Amino acid sequence: MNAPDGRMLPTDRLAYSAIDARPALKLPDGARMVVWVIVNVEEWDATAPMPRTVLTPPAGGSPSPDVPNWAWHEYGNRVGFWRMLKVFDEFAIPAVLAINGSAIAAYRPIVDAAVARKWEFIGHGFTQRNMQKVPDERADIRKTAEVILQATGVRPRGWLGPGLTETWETPDLLMEEGYDYVCDWVLDDQPVWLKTRTRPIANVPYTQECNDVAMMLIQHHKASEYRDRALDQFEQIYADAKDSARVMALVLHPYIMGAPHRLKYFRETIETIRKKRDVLFWTGAQILDWFVKVGPKKP
Amino acid sequence: MADHMIPRERCEFSAIVDRPPLKLPGYARLVLWSIVNYEVWDIARPMARQVIPAPTGQALLPDVPNWSWHEYGMRVGAWRFFDLFARLKIRPTLATNARVCEDYPRVAEQAKRDGWEFMGHAYDQMPIHKQDDQAGMINKSMDILERFTGKRPVGWLGPGLTQTLDTPELLVAAGVKYIGDWVYDDEPTVIRTANGSLVTLPYTVELNDIPMMIVQHHESDYLLKRAIDQFDRLYAEGKERAKIMALAIHPYISGQPHRIKYLETIYDYVNRFEGVLHWNGAEILDWYNTTRDRKAVAA
Repeated sequence: MNAPDGRMLPTDRLAYSAIDARPALKLPDGARMVVWVIVNVEEWDATAPMPRTVLTPPAGGSPSPDVPNWAWHEYGNRVGFWRMLKVFDEFAIPAVLAINGSAIAAYRPIVDAAVARKWEFIGHGFTQRNMQKVPDERADIRKTAEVILQATGVRPRGWLGPGLTETWETPDLLMEEGYDYVCDWVLDDQPVWLKTRTRPIANVPYTQECNDVAMMLIQHHKASEYRDRALDQFEQIYADAKDSARVMALVLHPYIMGAPHRLKYFRETIETIRKKRDVLFWTGAQILDWFVKVGPKKP
Repeated sequence: MADHMIPRERCEFSAIVDRPPLKLPGYARLVLWSIVNYEVWDIARPMARQVIPAPTGQALLPDVPNWSWHEYGMRVGAWRFFDLFARLKIRPTLATNARVCEDYPRVAEQAKRDGWEFMGHAYDQMPIHKQDDQAGMINKSMDILERFTGKRPVGWLGPGLTQTLDTPELLVAAGVKYIGDWVYDDEPTVIRTANGSLVTLPYTVELNDIPMMIVQHHESDYLLKRAIDQFDRLYAEGKERAKIMALAIHPYISGQPHRIKYLETIYDYVNRFEGVLHWNGAEILDWYNTTRDRKAVAA
């Protein structure tokens, strides 16, 4: 079942399953679907290459230090985050804060604002770099949990790899280090169980589709496309969820959707979805606890 | 390089909501800071940007088609900018390679005659990381602009906003008072250097025709749409605290016949609102310094 070198391939962790062939999942009080909103707060190391860029240097290349792109990201934490926060307050919805371990100390006012609103914190790497380049992955995962616990009083139950990156071992390490769910496996509209070398870990549906990094920085859509795509996504999942519950994720980063010219499209997205009475806004942990109760038994 | 400060050592993290609001004179809410960029693209080197890559994608020297694409901006596009700003009686900031005074004296003379603010922008257009003698290049650029205009510039923008870790020290030593390279806030800030403090003004990589048109490939009219969205949000926030909105344009991009009307319409739009000031960088700096002095006296 495992590859000859002992590593587990994705298909070793979960068997293929057609969504229409599964027993129906039911949400409480007749709700039809869940929306969860994930805010990613990162610290970009000014001495390393920037994870993303908005501007390349004249004649190309990637010079270091890269002050303009560092500053562009920093804007999100100094200004953009505080603009986004008003939307969560206005519509009284919870967010999930996926945060780099190192950002806990770097951006204390953001941590305090999230704790005051009882947001769920999930681990997002200790630093913003590919997990395959982290020298000691277990230590990174453990340290991230520790600083979140110290800052918030609660141990993180969820994990999102930086840029969704994983090694062959990531799900095993997460389970062994006390995490309950991961978000890197964007392969379904419902949570699933992934086998690990110990106990199974859950995966809660995250998104690359309604994600401002993919849409604005890679595909270069105009700002209003965030709202248009999110509402198209929502309409379809709402229709699909008639007989069995589904989960929709919305992902945003303060340096992207927190820009003055983009924020209103996020606000309009939430304003529209919030009008539906049978749609729940939950955190990842709430989705997980519900799934554990009503979903299939762990493999 | 190890003994130079990284950005975080120059300025602590600060959430905008934790600062006392800045106030503009009268009932003004927002400063529109227009920055025109005039450059020299040396035909002997790779071009700073390309509108058309060579067949098979190879970088060829000389790169005549992309050199002439930029040259169009200096021969034709720039004169559309001069007309626009003369008609509106706006004196923008001109971020200019010093070599523009030597290679394009007709263009530089017009900007001087129209009372534009000259801002240092390197000698010619190449990343600052590739300069063998950065201090020499900075001083030479400042000296040329001082001789040409009769006044030493107070502002500086790196080519492509590029800096090395010691650039702020070199700029202060050369007499620079403010920079545009740190796009990390909506307000001016003060950063530390070994040679004394330096002010950052909120330049932009969001409302800037290079990222929008050349990197992200948006349609021409999107400059107008994003500018209106940006303005609406900052103008609303300007009720509580002064906001600065930068708009950065290049003659070979926004000076094109198919784009210029969208730029002109931005000014028609914002000028319908009360409380919008058209200030250049030197004027923003003077206001900010006066505001800081008053606060220092009060404290």
